[in-house]
Amino acid sequence: MMLEKLKQTFTVTEVKEQKKNLTFFTVPKEQMEMMLITLRDHHDYKHLSFIVGIDMIEDGVFKLTYMLYNYETNHSFGIHCNIDREKAEMDSFHHLWEQVGTYQRELREMLGINFEGSPRLEENLSLDEGWDGPPPMRRDFDTKEYSNNTYFQREGRVNYDPREYMREQLYPTFPKTESDKLLNGGGKK
Amino acid sequence: MFTPDRSKYPKHVNGRPEIDLSSGKYTKVWHGPQHPGITGNMALEITLCGDEVVESITHVGYLHRGFEKLMERRTFIQCFPIVCRIAVPEPAFNEYCFSAALEELSDIEIPEQAQWLRTFNLELMRLSSFLMWIGGMAGALGQGTIGQWCVTHRDYVADLFEEMTGGRIYHMYMLPGGVRAPLPPGFKERAFKVFDGIEKMLDAVDKVLYNNYVFKQRTQGLGIITRDMIERYGVVGPNARACGVKRDVRLDEPYVKYDELDFDYVTANASDAYARAVCRFEETLQSIDLCRQVLNKMPKDGPFHTKTPNVMNWKVAPGETYAKAECTRGEYGFYMVTDGSDKPRRVHARGPSMTHAICLMEQLAINTNVSDIAGLMVSIHTYPPEVER
Amino acid sequence: MKLKDVISPFYVWKRAFEKPYTNTNPLETRDGSANYRGFHANDIEMCIGCGTCEAVCQNAAIDMVPVEGVDTTMSDSGLRPKIDYGRCCWCALCVDVCTTASLRLTNEYTWFSSDKDEDFRFIPGIDKKSWDDNELGYRRHEGLELLDYKRQAMDHIPFEDSTKSFIEMFHGYSAKQAKLEAERCVDCGLCIAKCPAHMDIPEYIKAIRDGDFELGAKILYATNPMPATCGRICTHLCETVCSIGVQGDPVAIRWLKRYIIDQIEPGDLKDALGEIFPDNGKKVAIIGAGPGGLSAAYYLRQLGYSTTIYEGREAAGGMIRYGVPEYRMPYDQIDKETNYLKECGVEFKFNTYVGRDIQLENLMDDYDAVYFSVGLTIPYGLGIEGEEHPRVLSGLQVLDDATERVEENPNIGKSVAVIGGGNVAMDCCRVSKRYDADVHLYYRRRISEMPADSDEIHESQGEGVVFHTQAIPVRVEPADNPNQVKLVWGEAEMVTPKDGGRPRPVLQEDKIHTDTFDCIIKAIGQEGNYEFFTGEYKEKLETKWGKIIHNEYMQTSIPKLFVGGDIANPQADAISAIADGHLAAKGIDLFLLHPDDKQMKK
Repeated sequence: MMLEKLKQTFTVTEVKEQKKNLTFFTVPKEQMEMMLITLRDHHDYKHLSFIVGIDMIEDGVFKLTYMLYNYETNHSFGIHCNIDREKAEMDSFHHLWEQVGTYQRELREMLGINFEGSPRLEENLSLDEGWDGPPPMRRDFDTKEYSNNTYFQREGRVNYDPREYMREQLYPTFPKTESDKLLNGGGKK
Repeated sequence: MFTPDRSKYPKHVNGRPEIDLSSGKYTKVWHGPQHPGITGNMALEITLCGDEVVESITHVGYLHRGFEKLMERRTFIQCFPIVCRIAVPEPAFNEYCFSAALEELSDIEIPEQAQWLRTFNLELMRLSSFLMWIGGMAGALGQGTIGQWCVTHRDYVADLFEEMTGGRIYHMYMLPGGVRAPLPPGFKERAFKVFDGIEKMLDAVDKVLYNNYVFKQRTQGLGIITRDMIERYGVVGPNARACGVKRDVRLDEPYVKYDELDFDYVTANASDAYARAVCRFEETLQSIDLCRQVLNKMPKDGPFHTKTPNVMNWKVAPGETYAKAECTRGEYGFYMVTDGSDKPRRVHARGPSMTHAICLMEQLAINTNVSDIAGLMVSIHTYPPEVER
Repeated sequence: MKLKDVISPFYVWKRAFEKPYTNTNPLETRDGSANYRGFHANDIEMCIGCGTCEAVCQNAAIDMVPVEGVDTTMSDSGLRPKIDYGRCCWCALCVDVCTTASLRLTNEYTWFSSDKDEDFRFIPGIDKKSWDDNELGYRRHEGLELLDYKRQAMDHIPFEDSTKSFIEMFHGYSAKQAKLEAERCVDCGLCIAKCPAHMDIPEYIKAIRDGDFELGAKILYATNPMPATCGRICTHLCETVCSIGVQGDPVAIRWLKRYIIDQIEPGDLKDALGEIFPDNGKKVAIIGAGPGGLSAAYYLRQLGYSTTIYEGREAAGGMIRYGVPEYRMPYDQIDKETNYLKECGVEFKFNTYVGRDIQLENLMDDYDAVYFSVGLTIPYGLGIEGEEHPRVLSGLQVLDDATERVEENPNIGKSVAVIGGGNVAMDCCRVSKRYDADVHLYYRRRISEMPADSDEIHESQGEGVVFHTQAIPVRVEPADNPNQVKLVWGEAEMVTPKDGGRPRPVLQEDKIHTDTFDCIIKAIGQEGNYEFFTGEYKEKLETKWGKIIHNEYMQTSIPKLFVGGDIANPQADAISAIADGHLAAKGIDLFLLHPDDKQMKK
């Protein structure tokens, strides 16, 4: 019902009713602010639960999710908005809710999204001491590689793979299956 | 809306006071990260004029372990042991929200008994956390004795957890598909004995702390959250209920077995630190009542875990959801996105401290006396690990 | 200010007289609860070193390490978990996914060491600790199943209908069933060692989970050019060591193999596998187109040899075609595999019986190497009086007749006695059932001791074969009707020899019965036929207990001659023959192209 009404004004796509009291949909970046204000002021979606950024690296976008909650109907809207990953910029909504500023600081810190005009945007929440890597929540940041390059492993640990170990112990001469070669399309080809 | 008196500020630029420390008029003090009057490892960078706070900035990051990123690298079952660390005194809510979100996305219905056991575990968790909070609140205002009483009795609750789950602090009990173990024999009687002990102790706390002139003087009128701040700052839980606002996820959107329990919103009106303390005290008693109700209503036994796919190869179809619960501080939830692989695509732990500890605290701190900062901080009840995750 | 607010806090003094709540350690100690997650304990005898605990540990706290006193066997990797307590978070997932339930957590939570070099990493069960005997502590509770212990049932034609035709009895998994079954695997890889051909089972099961059947087929063909056959009639030794099988049903590895290859249409194998075969100019002759010969031919082709298979019969498959009835092994599936071998460039010479149509000497002279796997074709006699009776038939002959002329009755009549307890006996029973005969099976020992697959026994019983166990044939007598025969048999008692060992059936002289049948089918085993060896080759060829002696690369005592299949290995099943073929291909390659190799006789 309400969505139908919203659709008259906004470009609402990818509507998905996840459960009785939770609906997701997507709006374009430029309509986001009006959408939030409309829902907050006209439809009683007064509570902003959180803002999350998802790195959809395969689509080249960051998907932002704004979760709004209506205390009267106990219904939530998860509103998606896709922004370009290369030029990661989004409008700042710090004037709508006070906590938006905090979430936007986090998004800038963890995903490298710029929110023009958001207060104290450059202040990191967590990565204060000596962080020189890229925004760590981006999918292309490999935590394992970072930790291997930054920290050292405890010495004296050896791990054996049961398959390989049994081959060495029980049938070392049998022609070897090189499944990993097959996986890479090499091998017999 | 509540607007602090900013007359002492010489200048106000971009929403922040321009403070010239060399003028000799201001003092900068770091409150934390290692300070007994603060909840967990976080720091307040306070600027004082005399003994009055003119600016407070919250610093977190001392506990950052990148849980959300870690989960993107782990299979679903491997996420299960790490989620409990997101809020140390209240691991159960993380376990519950994580499991509930995962179950929803993979279409798993958990058995009746598992729901009761989850309800009990969650409510006992609230009780344990409230006890810790009451002790902390008293301690922050110099009444360490009460802190010891509460922590002692919290330890008895931890004993119950140990029997039930195998762990005192990190229970790792609610795993996807249900819970890990049924209640041990004779548990109900032992639990009731612990509850009786706590009630007796709380009676003493009521006399010694809540009817204490000093406590009242220091908390009444401290950190008032006005009604219009609630929407604007996204205030939830007892902080909101202490302003007379009826919101409680357990009643608004009942999960597990809360719809079969008999309870109501606990509210207060004064909106200050004392009202919040009273609210939490009442909720502690309510938690004990709910725990008793659950143990009485729960079936004797039944399956406590439903078969999940083999956890070593568990893949979840693409989807997203938000599962929430009412922790001691309000709405706690996990937003989970899956992409069809064996690892979650994105997990976001939404903790109330994210808003309470930063923007709300920074606002409430202004114009308070520096000696009240610890009490104010504790009265908002924040856990820093859920801010930085 | 209320007066009460000033007086009330003094209540605090009342509690000053209460007893303290604290324990005075070490005078009073407190044990962990019965469910406590403390230090690990591992039952070393039960543990099979599958490494599932290591795989699930999200902290990477577990290493699998070899330990003294535990040998690597076919069902035990010989590795045991070593736990790094600097990393362990006591989540006990390792306990929940332990395939054998050997790993548990005790309720001990304290450990002191005054020795600064004493390591906080240890192997539970091997490094002795004070808590090893604590019975309390966390174990997986009954009712908590993080692994899937129940196998997906395979649909088959109901027994009432199955005996009416030779249509393949098992339908094969549906896509959903196959995926669910594939998800049960925990990727431990213990099965790889047990499989005679060392197929990379976890990888092809993973291919099913990922829905990549071309990759799956490639993995299958890497070690086995007859997956459609093995996916149906393999003795699936792998399933006997499956780690999931310790507490539940083993993963249906055989049916999953069949599922992969069934997804690829016969004509598409070439595209799916995308193989290119080189040519190195050397020629190898292969005698016998059974699994051993086909496998050797395929792997020799991969290495670049031109191969020619000499087969006495009119089609390829050997025992798979002529010894396994069609309801278990449809002929089009054998054709699918042999046609692919033809596409690979393997040359077949059918109806060419070595020793009759062509001599071994000629092959030895014309080819760079010769491989033979001719199988066991001469049935063992019963060794009792009167067995020369014309109504005493050979099991292999009956099965062969069934292959040649499925529509007609292979002259077995309407009441049949089958003697034996192996797979051939079961096949004879079920084939006879399909020719509408009343079938009685006689076996010397108990059902649990039958060498036949338990599935086969179950299905035979399901189809209405009457089992007489502990039944020893005494003699065969002619019946009044020349088309019938009398079987005299006695009940046996299982007697354990005084020096121990396997109980033996001993005939009870007072319990002798006589039954009359249209025919008696003997299926108690068979031996090899080496008639085609003549002259110097006959002298040089070394055999033992009827089997050909060979080195680890299947080279016989005659350097140029390689062997494989039932005549060379004790298992005498298809998958072992395929493994022999693969090994022999490597052996021939070492023999011909690596003259320095010391393992081969020149």
